[in-house]
Amino acid sequence: MTLRDLVVVRLGVAVNLVIGQVAAALLLPVYLDTIGTVLVAALVGWRAAIVAGLTSQVLNAVLSGNFTWLPFGLVQVVIALYAALAARLGAFRRLATAVPAGLLLGAVAASTSAPISYFLFGGVTAGGVTAVTTVLRALGAPLAVAVAAASYTTDLLDKTLVFALVAVVLRSLPRQMAARFPMLAR
Amino acid sequence: MIGYAPGRSVVHRAHPYTPLVIASGLLLVAFAVRSPLAVWTVVAAALLFAAVAGVLGPVLRPAALLALPTWALLTVLHGLLGGPPHVAVGPLAFSVQGGERALVFGGRLAAILLAFLTALATVSPARLVEAMTVRGVRFGRIYLLVSTLTVVPRLRDRARRIIDAQQCRGLRLGGSPLARVRALGPLVVPLILSALAEVDEQALALDVRGASVDGARTPLETPEDHAADRAVRWGVLVLVVAAYAAKFLGRAP
Repeated sequence: MTLRDLVVVRLGVAVNLVIGQVAAALLLPVYLDTIGTVLVAALVGWRAAIVAGLTSQVLNAVLSGNFTWLPFGLVQVVIALYAALAARLGAFRRLATAVPAGLLLGAVAASTSAPISYFLFGGVTAGGVTAVTTVLRALGAPLAVAVAAASYTTDLLDKTLVFALVAVVLRSLPRQMAARFPMLAR
Repeated sequence: MIGYAPGRSVVHRAHPYTPLVIASGLLLVAFAVRSPLAVWTVVAAALLFAAVAGVLGPVLRPAALLALPTWALLTVLHGLLGGPPHVAVGPLAFSVQGGERALVFGGRLAAILLAFLTALATVSPARLVEAMTVRGVRFGRIYLLVSTLTVVPRLRDRARRIIDAQQCRGLRLGGSPLARVRALGPLVVPLILSALAEVDEQALALDVRGASVDGARTPLETPEDHAADRAVRWGVLVLVVAAYAAKFLGRAP
């Protein structure tokens, strides 16, 4: 990894940690805490994106004190790999391709996070998702189904928005700046 | 309070890797054991760790604040909404097995929070950087972990200013969910573009400071790694291996 890649990774980590503030200001039920990972995957590649994702997870735990988020680092790795593949296939060139690719990522991410949430934490993790789980459980759904449904509900919307936003950011890059990222030319 | 709390306890004076290894060991053992009693024994060990470090008070409050909402949800999800058999607790029917599960999951959460908040309170970031440098950890990894913490407040401040500026220009943060989703673009795009614009400048600044030079770096003050530190770390490793061996042999408590 070059020094420049390292700086981009640091930027990705910082974006992951800060962007939730914007989502909270808009009172949106999403985290957007993987936008930096996806951005790094598109600009630098999968290795850098994995580093960005795992570092975000560790620092998020350190800054919030909630170390139960550490096992969800696996979800960041899956997102980094998927986003790099999507970037290579040109999914970020248009919103029309970024949105379905994001939707599919939502399904992949939910399929990864739901078992972690169910087996390690009994389905109780972050506030929003657990609230949905509790409502579904109260309606009579088995716990495993409630946890999975809650994860899918939040992740589908979250990851679709993340991919759409990254596509908009990449399209908004001034030509001179975009030329400095060889991955974008592929 | 979450973060480093200076002190003179034996844990504060230990090699920075030692509290981190103890915390990681407690986390791993908490997931290896199965019964409520065994899990809460790990919680007791984490409490002892915090007490020996002299940070029990500063650690208990944030741990309780983080754990209480999750404990409440676990009680509802597993205790009140759990399957039969049930026992009557006042006007409520409480699932016996669900209650046990809630105790196990709640105990694991408490152990993880107590262990890592103690490590966080006792490991000085500066000493950790020195220890990592001595061990030959590459500059990039140290830079990512430490330097990002300094960037986050700056980017947070910038996000706040962008939100204010876009509101001054007429952007509405409220309204229908669709309107709020549409407002994401004008807030997120300038934040990321402005940060990307600084990448080359920051890479150049690192380069002129010799960050790209390979080879051993000389730390200013090397943290001592005593035999007792190494013994504790090996002891934790043996404990973790024993716990998982018991788990896979079906003999975990």
